Amino acid sequence: MRSIYKVFFLLLGMFFFTQGLIADEQTELKKHFLSKIDEVILIVEDKKLLKDERNANIVKTLTPMFDFKLMAKLSLGNRWKELSQADKDKFVELYVHRMKQSYSSKIDAYKDEKVEVKEIQQPKEDRIALITDLISKQDKLEIVYKFHKPKKQLESKDNWLVYDVEILGVSILKTDIAQFKEFLQTKTITALMDALSKQS
Amino acid sequence: MRIILVVFAMLLLGLSGCSSKNIEEPKETSIEHTQDSELDSFSDEMEVKEIYDPLSGYNRVMTSFNDGAYDYVLKPVSTGYSNLFHVEIRRSVDNFFNNIYFPIRFVNNILQGKFYYSMQESERFVINTTIGLVGLFDPAKSYFEIEAHKEDFGQTLGFYGVGGGPHIVLPLLGPSNLRDFASMYPDSFLTFIDYDERSYWTLTDTPAEYIGAKSFEYINYISLNKDRYEKMREDAVDLYPYLRDIYEQRRDKQIKE
Repeated sequence: MRSIYKVFFLLLGMFFFTQGLIADEQTELKKHFLSKIDEVILIVEDKKLLKDERNANIVKTLTPMFDFKLMAKLSLGNRWKELSQADKDKFVELYVHRMKQSYSSKIDAYKDEKVEVKEIQQPKEDRIALITDLISKQDKLEIVYKFHKPKKQLESKDNWLVYDVEILGVSILKTDIAQFKEFLQTKTITALMDALSKQS
Repeated sequence: MRIILVVFAMLLLGLSGCSSKNIEEPKETSIEHTQDSELDSFSDEMEVKEIYDPLSGYNRVMTSFNDGAYDYVLKPVSTGYSNLFHVEIRRSVDNFFNNIYFPIRFVNNILQGKFYYSMQESERFVINTTIGLVGLFDPAKSYFEIEAHKEDFGQTLGFYGVGGGPHIVLPLLGPSNLRDFASMYPDSFLTFIDYDERSYWTLTDTPAEYIGAKSFEYINYISLNKDRYEKMREDAVDLYPYLRDIYEQRRDKQIKE
């Protein structure tokens, strides 16, 4: 009889333990994300900084949270595997540069807005989506930050890394996948890299 | 028995303590994760829906036309307009137009069985038309905190499983598809801004008046959302498929909401 109790409590304990871990991981990520946002807000509001300096600081703050490299690879889909190592390196470099440029140009429009995490989803053990609202006086913009947890931690990166951002249901990554795919149907990867380098 | 519980309690405390430190932990490993197997683990998420696009030739031309029209007409006009009118006035114009489209939102929320939303839309309409001075202000949101629930007939059809059909880029209005384009017709019976004589009172009665009112609304909208299009355009490698994809993804999301 006693052993039944033991098993029961063991299972119960395991259940609460794993639930606790999951919840813990989510709240930690949320806390970490919001603290990053606070850091960005401080930089944005610092009137002493010049525009370029400010953008560079923002990118520096956010870079550890983003897996730009993975985004670059995913944006090419199956074509990625066909690339030579030199092309792979060049493409990643161009893509990462473009992402950073794009982000800092968008942040320019940022004015007196607030970020709230309204929901956390964890579809898989190593995926967490933070569903946030960017709240301004007039508007509410739903932005989803999708994180993954690499099996092995990357150098100078966080544990959980953003691999896609969805703004009002539009995924940045999916949009790139679609436009690159269409581009590569008629043009070469070299032409795509040229186009990317002209953008930044 | 007690011992087991105590051991569990200790385990729980100890381990959850460890996990909470995860994020601040110093970075120790630096292993490149370029394995293709990792990419494969994302393949199900990254599947991109093929968009039916038999009109791509025309659509491309119209996208370039719209893009040029934005740079050479819409933007200069809206900049001049925003220099003349204070932002609060322009916001009121925007509120006025939004308020007047209430019947579209009300009916389409009902058609999709979203009765609570249509009730909220009615409340918004009553509050904003009265206290909000014929819709020039939005006290329903700013004071009563009632959110708007935008729905149109295209979304209603999508809700019942009607696909978008071929993508169509409309002159000046930009990306659309057959479903959403055709839906503008039934929705036109539900607004006070239309292009025909109706048996009920409407703000505009002829195509010329309709285009005038719509252009005013559009210029006003651009003046309030300056740079939005330009910032978006910056990330395009090829503008037409880029805008097409954004439109279709956005509509899918609106339909799911």
